[in-house]
Amino acid sequence: MDKFGKVLRVNLSNGTVASESLCEKTLKDYIGGRGYATKVLYDEVPKGTDPLSPENKLIFANGPLTGKGAPSAGRYMVITKSPLTGCIASSNSGGFWGAELARAGWFMIILEGKAAKPVYLWINDDKVEIRDAAAVWGKDSHAATDALLEAVGDSKAKVTCIGPAGERLSKIAAIMNDKNRAAGRSGVGAVMGSKNLKAVVVKGSARPYVENQDEMKAVLAGAMEKLKTNPVTSQGLPTYGTAVLVNIINQLGGYPKNNWQGAYFPEADTQSGETLAKDFLTKRYSCFGCPIGCGRVTKVGDREGEGPEYETIFAFGVCCGVERLEPIIEANYLCNEYGLDTISAGVTIAAAMELYEKGLIKKEELEGGPELRFGSDDAVTYWTKKMGLVEGLGKKLAEGSYRLCEMYGHPEFSMTVKKQEMPAYDGRAIQGIGLNYATSNRGGCHVRGYTISPEVLGLPEKLDPVDISTKPTWVMIFQNLTAAIDASGMCLFTSFALGADDYAAFLKAATGFDYDGAAALQAGDRIWNIERMFNLREGLDPAKEDTLPDRLLKEPIPDGPSKGMLSRLPEMLPEYYKARGWDEKGVPTDAKLQELGLK
Amino acid sequence: MIKVLFFATIRDLTREKETAAEGADTVMELLLQLSDRYGPDFREEALDGDNISDRLIVLVNGRHIAHTGGGETHLSEGDNVAVFPIIGGG
Repeated sequence: MDKFGKVLRVNLSNGTVASESLCEKTLKDYIGGRGYATKVLYDEVPKGTDPLSPENKLIFANGPLTGKGAPSAGRYMVITKSPLTGCIASSNSGGFWGAELARAGWFMIILEGKAAKPVYLWINDDKVEIRDAAAVWGKDSHAATDALLEAVGDSKAKVTCIGPAGERLSKIAAIMNDKNRAAGRSGVGAVMGSKNLKAVVVKGSARPYVENQDEMKAVLAGAMEKLKTNPVTSQGLPTYGTAVLVNIINQLGGYPKNNWQGAYFPEADTQSGETLAKDFLTKRYSCFGCPIGCGRVTKVGDREGEGPEYETIFAFGVCCGVERLEPIIEANYLCNEYGLDTISAGVTIAAAMELYEKGLIKKEELEGGPELRFGSDDAVTYWTKKMGLVEGLGKKLAEGSYRLCEMYGHPEFSMTVKKQEMPAYDGRAIQGIGLNYATSNRGGCHVRGYTISPEVLGLPEKLDPVDISTKPTWVMIFQNLTAAIDASGMCLFTSFALGADDYAAFLKAATGFDYDGAAALQAGDRIWNIERMFNLREGLDPAKEDTLPDRLLKEPIPDGPSKGMLSRLPEMLPEYYKARGWDEKGVPTDAKLQELGLK
Repeated sequence: MIKVLFFATIRDLTREKETAAEGADTVMELLLQLSDRYGPDFREEALDGDNISDRLIVLVNGRHIAHTGGGETHLSEGDNVAVFPIIGGG
């Protein structure tokens, strides 16, 4: 199995480094990346482990396609127990770091323990060193990356690191690679900070192994044709980036405004992908081997950087009642530098604005900073910085929306699922995505099962967003397929053009394992269920936590095209459990676990 | 009067973000009217023979016409029609 890369196990407490072989059965059953690493976490991290203790493990994991010939296959996953949710943390990132790890001959890194002082890991092919990070501790992700590349003496090495937010254990801290790419969600940056690990720097020189090169080339040719002719992957995403969604989600009346107190923003076009492309875009950014190039390189005044994505525009824009792109872009740059998740950061500021406007956060607590009022450009940039530095009121904000609102006695103002901030689609207007949020194993998240594709964009079928009859099954299938894609190392955005059979064909060519579409989906189902079992073992209470904020269940959308609508989650959830083969309490049945080889 | 909004690459064809239309009782009639106004490139994007092109997303008052009767979706005074190409994101 070493031909697919080895497992690097690093114990930061005692400074040991060991190389291990992959398990063939686990690789086949769980594909890799998100799947394989979750299996390791489930087996190795004891029940009840404090996420920020040395006993938690932090796993960086490639898929079997990462760095190989498949399109948009430069993704890696970060798997750990989340300090934000207490559930599985399963964050995905692109850029070039994962592909470089594959070139160095490693499939996965398991980090254990806690270093006595700040360190970074330097991986140069099979040579691995734990080095002193005193000189870069405290630096933001950009400055740290530059300094580390200089320190290792190789400007072509790749860096993944934390910024000040991760060092200071913000529960919404991200891990940043290639400066601006983020394994953003669920506070993975805080786990890295808790281990006193500033960065992992990697340089590789080998060509990653592919079992059947001819087969890979043939599969690639077919997939590239689909990507080049699909209007989303060939036109919409390259031209406008993900921000192309601003207008359509708003026109549908599902664009959450002022901390979900509304769902329609008349000024949305000012912050749309169209405006971004016209006024701020300097060039596109493509991750490793990506023919789509959805990344945005932008410029505002004398500041140049990457972003924003649709989610970021929503979080710092409409969710905070902010109209102009300039402060949104600046907040995005700050998140990249300080190492914060943009969705959680923006939605937490929105919650703080509601708390302030309702008189719960007092003016004295602002210590002279801008008032936390919806629509304030200054507030989003100022408080993002304070959150990134974890200082003043920013210390409370850095805990995320749920804990912030709980501190003020009003958790109902927190727009979270399992304590993680919800993304940019209102589950009252688009029923399937609400069910997906409520059941996502990592808490509020759109990319566990992106039903926006059929419910809004009409791909691969046009589903009515307000109808609930088939949504439980669609959500389940999308969740399973996404788990398989995440495990493979390919980017989810290829799924606008590709299907389960395409991913299976790539996996078969790369590994020689006999995958077909059904097997890939079953592996996705297996991944979903082991994540669920992890969460249940760690104390998840489905009756209380497989749900949405009361606002989405009890407060109808007040205006716009979806006026009057509520989430119909209570009707969908039992059907979803049934479709999954779980009992009425949301626990996988013995029969289901046996079917998947989990019992 | 019906308000019609254009987005993304459709704006390249109409060279304006919005317009007003009158006298169209259905979405199909509206798109034919707009095709006459904006010319063959718009027509090619919007229509596929006698049908509305699969490359188009049309919302009437926020509802995709696939769920309200397709091209036969009835239009009334004061309706809001939004026209998009097929797009995606995440």
